[in-house]
Amino acid sequence: MTTAKHRLAAAAAALALLVGCSQAGARRADPGPAAASRTPKTTAGGVDAARGFRSVRGYRATPMPVRVEIPSIGVASSLDRLGRAPDGTVEVPRDWEVAGWYAPGPRPGDPGSAVILGHVDSKGGPAVFYRLRQLRRGDQIKIARTDGSAVRFVVQRTEQYPKDRFPTDEVYYPTLTPTLRLVTCGGDFNAAAGHYRSNVIVFATMQP
Amino acid sequence: MKKFGCPGATWDLGSAILEGIVRSRTGMVALVTFVLAAAVACGPGTAGRAGSSAALPAADQQAVRLAAAAAQGSPRQVRAQFEQLLGLHALLAVRQMRSVVAAAPDLGQAAGVSLQQNTDALSGLVASAYGSAQADRFTPLWRRHLGDLVAYAKGVAGKDTSARKTARAALLADADAYGSWLAGASKGQVQASDAAAGVRIHVEELMDQADAYAARDYAQAYRIEREAYEHMFTAGAALAKASVTPEVAVGLETPPERLRSAFAMLLGEHLELIVDAQRATFAGQPEFEAAAAQVNANTTALTKAMGGIVGPTKAAEFQTAWANHVEGLMAYTAAVAGNDETGKTAAKQNLDGFAERLGLYFSDIVKNVLAADPLTDAITAHDTHLIHHVDAYAAKDYPKAQQLEREGYLQMLGVANTLVGAIQRTVKPRLPVGGSKTGGGGLACRRR
Repeated sequence: MTTAKHRLAAAAAALALLVGCSQAGARRADPGPAAASRTPKTTAGGVDAARGFRSVRGYRATPMPVRVEIPSIGVASSLDRLGRAPDGTVEVPRDWEVAGWYAPGPRPGDPGSAVILGHVDSKGGPAVFYRLRQLRRGDQIKIARTDGSAVRFVVQRTEQYPKDRFPTDEVYYPTLTPTLRLVTCGGDFNAAAGHYRSNVIVFATMQP
Repeated sequence: MKKFGCPGATWDLGSAILEGIVRSRTGMVALVTFVLAAAVACGPGTAGRAGSSAALPAADQQAVRLAAAAAQGSPRQVRAQFEQLLGLHALLAVRQMRSVVAAAPDLGQAAGVSLQQNTDALSGLVASAYGSAQADRFTPLWRRHLGDLVAYAKGVAGKDTSARKTARAALLADADAYGSWLAGASKGQVQASDAAAGVRIHVEELMDQADAYAARDYAQAYRIEREAYEHMFTAGAALAKASVTPEVAVGLETPPERLRSAFAMLLGEHLELIVDAQRATFAGQPEFEAAAAQVNANTTALTKAMGGIVGPTKAAEFQTAWANHVEGLMAYTAAVAGNDETGKTAAKQNLDGFAERLGLYFSDIVKNVLAADPLTDAITAHDTHLIHHVDAYAAKDYPKAQQLEREGYLQMLGVANTLVGAIQRTVKPRLPVGGSKTGGGGLACRRR
């Protein structure tokens, strides 16, 4: 270090000491000679900066989703809020034409898998997710939120699973990566039970 | 083979610096395994508030016995060990390079010794995962890249463009050599070009942070450091998966395993960023603020991660409790750096209270699968590592500071594993059962 820099550092250190005293008050003991000799030479401002450190606070929850749009298959729907039914299964939307967000899970854009479910059809005809299985890698999904913001996802893959081998962990298990899962029915229809035997699942990742 | 060295560093592991630390390759793996296991087992009666002080002697005694256990570790354990060793490697390399740039040979020597221990442990783990013949090929090329990183840092420190250029070329060649090694060791499961690309990113990050540090662009240097750590930590999974059959590798990528890994990375990062901020306190305001910004970035990431599991209300609670904890550690650090004994005492008392609050919080979110007291003890042990670390650093006892940093890192990963294990047990029963009844007409079936 040059002499000029030494002087500058000394002046800055002296100034910092003064500022520190005025800010911290008299209860801060001045470093004694013995203690100072044990301590690495501190450069101006470090101690005051550490004293003034404030951790990030004021966590703001991600706004809740209110609408899903999937242009490539013509989906534009508001979102119901879904939970777990008494039998432990996921609730499904009451309205055939309206999709639903699994509210106990993450919000779209938060770390984890946000899950949106919609019916494929009703006895009367196609429902909101009738064309879901046509989604392919690269297709876009937009989720609008209560505050007017939106988050976008990109389809990675579309898979079909028998309901008795539903990949619960892949769909619902917490992760630290923001992802989206779209779920509807597919495969063979069990007319006696009035339900499909499989689920179609779209796996999507958040667009940066 | 190129010579590996750093300013004033000695690789005599029998030096006083390494007193009490196991020397052999298998011993180092065992040490890592033991400390990790000890931290994981931080239940009642094991993680006393004295924290770290007993870990090394105990590890010494247990090292030989546990070496075999480490070698027979499950693929998941191997993954966790690769993650922690590679993540730590990145951080130690950063610190060693910065010590060269800042002309701080004592600090550089301590970091160099830690890097040597880290390399020994990594070699031992490679031996257990890929066989000793592959470890014999891996170790010299890994050491070569460490030497080339130091050479690059020397070039930066000396403003020697030619030396930097030569070191950069050597590091890129090291990346290619690593790629070839892993392609062979994995029996073709990993492409040499893919593995080389990963190491190129690693060495580019380490060079970039050294450049930024020398230019006093501390914000950039610390931001890159965090990225370098995260990249190397996550690379541990790839190295573990490449050592097993594709069928076994699938089991290493399950959602619970990914969750464990991600939390371990963030909590290990927390410890290391606090260490950075503690040391930066002695380096001046600009460097402290850059380090502190990354501490806050980590807190934000941890809070979001908690939010994905426990929801926004509990995430906000977490952030408050965690922010108090972090501010308490910084208050203690400021008191040490300012020779403020009253401030140190007050900060310690506050930290005890914050640890208790965090223990209660974690116990609550895992529905008392873990009791609050041992969790409080584990967090207090974490605080103790960091308190002793900054005490040692302030006293210029850099070898001790390095040792405490390393022990603290392992303890934190152990806490992460324990906590995530409990979270996993509470999460699973809350997930919906089976598929969804999202169709009722049979129309989608008939259209096929």
